[in-house]
Amino acid sequence: MSSKVVGQSVPKIDAATKVRGQRKFPQDFNMEGQLYAKVVWSEYPHARVSKIDLSQAEALPGVVAILTSKDVPVNEYGINIMDQPVLVGEGEKVRWLGDRIAIVIAESEKIAQEARQLVRVEYEPLPVVTDPREAMKPDAPLIHEERGDSNILKHIKIRKGDIEKGFAEADVIIESYYLTPHVEHAYMQPEAGVGYIDEQGRVTVIAAAQWSHDDLHQISHMLDLPLDQVREIVPAIGGAFGGREDMYIQHLLALCAYCVRRPVKMVFDREESVMRTGKRHPYYMKYKWGATRAGKLTAMEMEIISDAGAYASTSVPVLSNSASFAAGPYVVPNAKVDAYTVYTNNAVTMAMRGFGSTQPPVAYESQMNKLAEALGMDPVELRMKNLLEDGSIALTGNPMPPGVGVKETLRQTALAAGWKEEDGVWIKPGPGLPSAPYKRRGIGVACGYKNVGYSFGFDDKTRAIVELALDESGEIARALVKLGASDQGMGAHTALAQIAAEALGIDYEKVRVALVDTSVVPDAGSCSASRHVYMSGNAVIRACQEAARKREEAIQRGERRVSAEYEYHGRSVRPTTPYDDENGMCDPHIGYGYASQIALVEVDVGTGQTEVLKVWAAQDVGKAINPEMVKGQAGGGVHMGLGYALTEEFIQKEGLIKTRRFSEYHIPTVADMPREFIPLIVEVPDPTGPYGAKGVGEMTTLPTAPAIISAIHDAVGVWIDNLPATAEKVWRAMQVRS
Amino acid sequence: MLTLKMFLNGQEVSVDVEPGELLADVLRDKLGLIGTKISCGEGECGACTVLVDGKAVDSCLYPVLKAQGREVITIEGLGQDNRLDTIQQAFVDKTAPQCGYCIPGMVISAKALLDENPHPTRKEIEEGISGNLCRCTGYYQIIEAIELACERLAEEGGTG
Ligand code: FES
Ligand code: FES
Repeated sequence: MSSKVVGQSVPKIDAATKVRGQRKFPQDFNMEGQLYAKVVWSEYPHARVSKIDLSQAEALPGVVAILTSKDVPVNEYGINIMDQPVLVGEGEKVRWLGDRIAIVIAESEKIAQEARQLVRVEYEPLPVVTDPREAMKPDAPLIHEERGDSNILKHIKIRKGDIEKGFAEADVIIESYYLTPHVEHAYMQPEAGVGYIDEQGRVTVIAAAQWSHDDLHQISHMLDLPLDQVREIVPAIGGAFGGREDMYIQHLLALCAYCVRRPVKMVFDREESVMRTGKRHPYYMKYKWGATRAGKLTAMEMEIISDAGAYASTSVPVLSNSASFAAGPYVVPNAKVDAYTVYTNNAVTMAMRGFGSTQPPVAYESQMNKLAEALGMDPVELRMKNLLEDGSIALTGNPMPPGVGVKETLRQTALAAGWKEEDGVWIKPGPGLPSAPYKRRGIGVACGYKNVGYSFGFDDKTRAIVELALDESGEIARALVKLGASDQGMGAHTALAQIAAEALGIDYEKVRVALVDTSVVPDAGSCSASRHVYMSGNAVIRACQEAARKREEAIQRGERRVSAEYEYHGRSVRPTTPYDDENGMCDPHIGYGYASQIALVEVDVGTGQTEVLKVWAAQDVGKAINPEMVKGQAGGGVHMGLGYALTEEFIQKEGLIKTRRFSEYHIPTVADMPREFIPLIVEVPDPTGPYGAKGVGEMTTLPTAPAIISAIHDAVGVWIDNLPATAEKVWRAMQVRS
Repeated sequence: MLTLKMFLNGQEVSVDVEPGELLADVLRDKLGLIGTKISCGEGECGACTVLVDGKAVDSCLYPVLKAQGREVITIEGLGQDNRLDTIQQAFVDKTAPQCGYCIPGMVISAKALLDENPHPTRKEIEEGISGNLCRCTGYYQIIEAIELACERLAEEGGTG
């Protein structure tokens, strides 16, 4: 079938309203008679609340209610483990600065703001533990006494082959210790929304969310209400990147509406958004890898420790991902992985673009680049000898499903960047002349891969409804796609509309995607794991096929409306399995996406400042449903990867927060981005994907940081194993070296 | 309360304000112009950019009383009825908006730039949006959109 809509860079479905400023984000909603709420936040990273005195705040005119733990029907929530209190009451513990004591609701935002400062809270401070390596020890202060006698939330073991034999076979062994920092999602739209009771009496929330149907389960649990008594509406989302997979405001808005029975609006300011919400996990990664002189990997030993922060969030599934990707996209016969995630009094850590696949490349790609140097082999060539292919046995013992495109991404990136290949021998280009005598240039390469969809035996599913309106002659006049798939900005709705148009054989302009409102649309799973094009795309195609069949019948009956529904399960094509407790063997993931990047940098030897001049970025997306949107993901992925490499670090000291706003937390501006950016789209189809498509959004960020780190080494000879590679860190490393 | 008069998107408006209020809040909360976004509230991100007498300003820091008698243009002031203006159309055509939260500020910064300098270099475009943060795009398609808008404006013979 030749595709007419799929593969075209049609305008995004919401672009026109966005450029006009008409598209409503959660802070843009206002309701008749609405009140305003503000949170009273914890002031200690670890303490027992001894007294909460509301008297002064309550006395302030205009204060309508102050909610405390006593007002929460079931005071617990959590996306994976319900270990988080909604509000912390007297006698209970705060475990980080994002814990909440009370919510003040008032007639105006100003009064609410004033009143929250009048709430007096007394605390008995408790010992604080912020380094997960300390928190793992048997005598460490416990963060969650109620959850047993250790702060270790999860330990995953992988045992493959015989690493002693593997290291004995190695001619070179590289050992390093890598650290990655806490990273702030820094979506531009701070948390906001309105909670109210709808016309049917349902507790309703308007907010940005990645998985509204899961929020609904948590809210119904918290309020002890049946599921059909709660509702969530997701308007435009101002970025999310994993940060809205957990609830940071949704449940609070629901609680406010439930308690006061009036509309309540709440908007976090940037400081609240930075200080009081989750982050990407910092990792401590001890890597030891061996390879033969011929460049074959023989053994790997890895220890990965992740800082879960105060509550579990998705730390366990994030760690599970990391362990499965610990070896990178390489074949290795002998491996040992011990991965831990540990509670501390730091910020809660959670999903963020890559979901545990973003930290390991910092280690595994630096290992490859160091091995290449030690072997005197080109880094592309070394990779080509070890990269996964269709059917290769992965770290977890499973064969890789068809569509492994990582070699192709590397080949295309390397050739574009000027590498030469002859009979499997790869020759790196020179980096060119620096722009000033005190600068040095370097070029670095990295790969990465990641799962698409939910893994480890989880029943990943997505349900879609397609409704057709037929004209007099029975032709499709309009199609409406209904599914609970959030579009955080990357274009999920556009891609799904294109897929629907293609499957129905109609123009893209005739397709609409319904607003995500849980009272209207079915559960499509989370907007995460780069899964909507693959998972929801598969559901939409099948719902469209069903609708097309029904259309024939409708025409015969003289009807003008058709509706069809389909629930797609990932396991129907690729069942996944959980880790074996002892050896970790499993078939972890439904599908995968792959990426390779090359960075050209210039380092100022006087200051250590790195400038990224050019990035070549290839991603294997199976099939680019909308090539310009894929390029947009690549640009955004490189942006985040560049920040990860050079500037971004959410800093805490003893559980207190030092980076509170954009003037202290530096995401790349346009001036920080490489002047030249070459996105390359690779299409090695996944036979189970819609039109061969895989996922896009996360893979584009994986190789950036290690490619830049490798380029810095190429330029000035130092390895930065502890991100971010700030000017100071690079400069210091250069001093130590000389 | 004081009554402030300004020329907003081509029309004279009067609005009651408190002395300490900021332009962004008045636009959003009192005048219902929600296209102007607030993201950092400290002049770091440019999401709140509007034009005051043709200059791009961060409305989250701009005391509303300073706007007295001035001409203010927000994103709602661009284009006509159902027609996008040239810059907006170029943003659509280049797939520039992802989440779109930074986009009204970006479009206004681009307008400020092109009104003053119809033929900017790539570097001048970068400078023109250097005060606007975007977390989604990496800025490339935004730059391409501004370049496309330049070309089209040159063909049209002015900033429509
Ligand atoms: S909101 Fe005004 S500069 Fe960020
Ligand atoms: S498009 Fe999302 S912040 Fe720019």
